[in-house]
Amino acid sequence: MQSEHYVIIGNGPAANSAADILRKGDPDARITLISDEFFPYYHRHLLRHYILGKKSKEDLIVRPISYYRENRIRLRLGQKVVRIDLQTRTVFLAHMEKVHYTRLLICLGGKPRIPEIHYVYSEYFTAIKTIDDAEAFREQLPGIRSMVIVGGDLISVKMAASFLETGMNVRFLIDEDAFWPLKLDDDQRRDFTERLSARGAEVISGDVLAGVEPETEGGFRVRTRNGLSLSCDRIGAFFGLIPDVDFLVGSGLDIDRGILVNEYLQTQFEGVYAAGDCAQVYNPDLKNYWVSIGWDNALHLGQIAAHNILGSDKTADLPPLNLLNSDGVKVQTAWWRDL
Amino acid sequence: MPFRDDIVIKICGSAGDGSISAVDILNRAAALMGYHILNFDSYPAEIRGFGKSVGTTRISRVRPLTPGDRADCLVSLNDPHTITELPTLNESGIVIYENRPGSFLEEDQVIAGFIMPGMTGYGAPLRDLSVTAVQSARSRNIISLGILAGIFRMHPDGFEEAIRIRFSGKKDSVVKSNIKAFHLGRKYALDEIAKRDQIDFGEQLLERPGEISIMSGNEAVAEACIDSRIRLYAGYPITPATRIMEILAKTLPDRDGLTVQTEDEISAIGHVLGAGFAGKRAVTATSGPGLCLMTELINWAVMAEIPAVVIDCQRGGPSTGLPTRTEQSDLNIAVSGGSGDSPRVVLAPTNVEECYTLTRESFEIAESFQAPVIVLLDFFLANRIEDIDSKRLTGEYHGEFPGDLVHSGNEPFKRFKLTESGISPRALPGMAGLLHTVTGLEHDQKGMPDYETKNHRDMTAKRFRKMETLARIWRGSDPFGDDGDLDAGIVSWGSTVGSVMEAIDILRGQGVRAGGLFPRLIWPVQAEQLAAFSRRSRQLFVAEMNYSGQLASLYAINLSRKFGRICGVYAGPVPVQDIVDEILRGLP
Ligand SMILES: Cc1cc2nc3c(=O)[nH]c(=O)nc-3n(C[C@H](O)[C@H](O)[C@H](O)COP(=O)(O)OP(=O)(O)OC[C@H]3O[C@@H](n4cnc5c(N)ncnc54)[C@H](O)[C@@H]3O)c2cc1C
Repeated sequence: MQSEHYVIIGNGPAANSAADILRKGDPDARITLISDEFFPYYHRHLLRHYILGKKSKEDLIVRPISYYRENRIRLRLGQKVVRIDLQTRTVFLAHMEKVHYTRLLICLGGKPRIPEIHYVYSEYFTAIKTIDDAEAFREQLPGIRSMVIVGGDLISVKMAASFLETGMNVRFLIDEDAFWPLKLDDDQRRDFTERLSARGAEVISGDVLAGVEPETEGGFRVRTRNGLSLSCDRIGAFFGLIPDVDFLVGSGLDIDRGILVNEYLQTQFEGVYAAGDCAQVYNPDLKNYWVSIGWDNALHLGQIAAHNILGSDKTADLPPLNLLNSDGVKVQTAWWRDL
Repeated sequence: MPFRDDIVIKICGSAGDGSISAVDILNRAAALMGYHILNFDSYPAEIRGFGKSVGTTRISRVRPLTPGDRADCLVSLNDPHTITELPTLNESGIVIYENRPGSFLEEDQVIAGFIMPGMTGYGAPLRDLSVTAVQSARSRNIISLGILAGIFRMHPDGFEEAIRIRFSGKKDSVVKSNIKAFHLGRKYALDEIAKRDQIDFGEQLLERPGEISIMSGNEAVAEACIDSRIRLYAGYPITPATRIMEILAKTLPDRDGLTVQTEDEISAIGHVLGAGFAGKRAVTATSGPGLCLMTELINWAVMAEIPAVVIDCQRGGPSTGLPTRTEQSDLNIAVSGGSGDSPRVVLAPTNVEECYTLTRESFEIAESFQAPVIVLLDFFLANRIEDIDSKRLTGEYHGEFPGDLVHSGNEPFKRFKLTESGISPRALPGMAGLLHTVTGLEHDQKGMPDYETKNHRDMTAKRFRKMETLARIWRGSDPFGDDGDLDAGIVSWGSTVGSVMEAIDILRGQGVRAGGLFPRLIWPVQAEQLAAFSRRSRQLFVAEMNYSGQLASLYAINLSRKFGRICGVYAGPVPVQDIVDEILRGLP
């Protein structure tokens, strides 16, 4: 029998936790991890410390490259998947290489969410998802004296705390959509804003972004619906993360917000699974699909998917609702951990 | 970004991809920018034009002594071939590859898929850019040079000039379209490629006084032969020596000379001895298997005291061995191949410039000492290309038959007269009153066969005395590295010297007092110099590129002490790090 080739798209917590289980469960199989990022598996929540120079790039790395060699996992970094052919079980890479799999696990993760009404301004926004984003920001940091953060999410609360440490002027434009997907009640929302203010941020709530113009001498002017005009060096867009599945549209996979999978994390195609931020998982009790974004969720789903690829029938549990203590504010969330 | 401008670039392709001509242009461009280069191409097949061809060039502000243990940048003009070169790339190396091959290729046929974490890949549409520039894919190599120039910020002027020189015999449109291709590649790199590496030449043009020659060891030998005004080259083609013959076959006819392709190496050396006997400068070049065949007649030259120069471009052996691999394993046969006590001179240049200067000297020595001189190159030295200040390519010329060696005076002519130096008066056939016999048999001072023990003893001693004279008067080789007492003293020879010199620099950087002695006159041994160096060295090593440590064994009797042998056979030049490691292991 031809041995298995498990191809995993992604190199975040979901992909890596899956690879570990697959290697243990199938010592002879080929395992390939493909990521379009050049940097090895790293802690994204530490990016803010990297931006400030408190941590080096190396400090962010979860596991050394040698780990993959020792475990005979082929790590393809800086290689982008541009297409998947589910019929011929082939993954197509941007540099024009085909990789054939026997089982495929998709762990594409999330991408910064930009609400539709703000799409037109995307090119003026700064979002921080990857180490490359962080590196670019870090290089420009000395020239960034003021920042307007639109949206507001758990990532931005932490980022803002870091930016404020540098003496940067930080203004938050928190609209009704803020902290998506968390459901914050008015008290929690007030709590967050008070804490941000106490740190030195200016919080503008109850107002909405209405326009952005780049200024001739660099920087931007942000206008709000209530008529405010804010000048700043940068506009940080933090509206949460959403599944990063655009290129799969048309692949035949069912895509809604994320890749639709059953409770075993299998797509409608045999041998094709999805896990982590990019998966939208069916729950038989809810009779509905759920998406959950967060490090632990990704670790958990990666493991479940791997077990099932190896022949188990483990179900992905609904992420338990936790009381998360973020920056002293307690919010209900699933899987997002205060890292 | 830390400035780095000592880099090793490899361009790998299939025959016809133009990787070697791209490296040729790169060499010249870098030299025109004022940098030093060391280029070493390799062809796995015996005959050029089949399979993979890899050009490796090291570009540096400081003269490079080796092609570098590992490459910093690998340019792929053919992915399957280049994939096999990946193990020679640094862990943080850069790969430049075709990113629009026309269709999707199967897994592991594409180099981009092998780029390891820590490495940097830059994809570019080499083929499409080439088609834009020259309406065909044939200038992908030039496009890739443009990409290199763009990414590493190398000054474009040097490239333009180098392209002009490379295509000088071609139509003007060819030159123009290739310059266009270069600029198209460069523009692509500047506009489209986000730099993620540390290499940066800062578009600098360095000052380099005077004219520069870019040549290989073999080319330097041929040039030296021409400048020494040789009258005959006789040889049988053999890798890696053939290039010498190719050049001389073209040039000698215009210079009152002759190139003869003989039926074998025995005939070749026979021709050379005939010319030498007649007082005409002659040379042959060969490799190990050819030298084996020549030993009988080299012996004859020793006995008959005929000047002869034999260039031996060593390759892996024994027998036909490894035609395209470098090795220094012909030392034993060069020094002592043949029957009887058969003293001859063995010279070993350590770089391209010395290939020139020592070849020039070899003729002078052969004629002055009336003996065969073997000059040992090896595949690496014969083929590697360096930039040389042209004014350093000089040598003495005393005429092909030095007049002061002719007999004068009233006593009867003794062609093999016993003298203090061992050197006897010499006459050419046909010189009035200087009739003499020349034979491979032991002979008396007039050349007549004489088997008496005393005569044989005297004559053997005389022949050896010539070597002693040479060892005494020859200029010697300057020691390298630290003065005074050394923690580690390293004796080495030939092309391995470059690696040893770089190893010594590394060791000194680590606080080890290190130095080297690199005899260019390998045989006869300059024993005093060797002994003095040995006395300075607390630990002594002999480094060379052969399995058994041939120089170490040859010099052991002179050294008469404990020393470490650093010897081995490699696919290419000895890696610098291996030498460093061996020495550190050998230190207390
Ligand atoms: C700044 C920041 C701070 C965070 N802080 C926290 C926190 O405090 N607590 C918490 O629980 N979570 C936090 N998160 C979220 C957490 O990091 C993610 O939920 C988690 O990383 C998701 O893991 P994943 O494996 O699903 O995907 P990811 O980690 O997003 O990895 C996705 C992988 O897929 C690859 N990929 C995507 N598309 C392609 C393609 N086409 N071809 C090849 N490769 C592709 C990417 O390169 C990447 O390697 C934070 C995230 C960010 C960005």
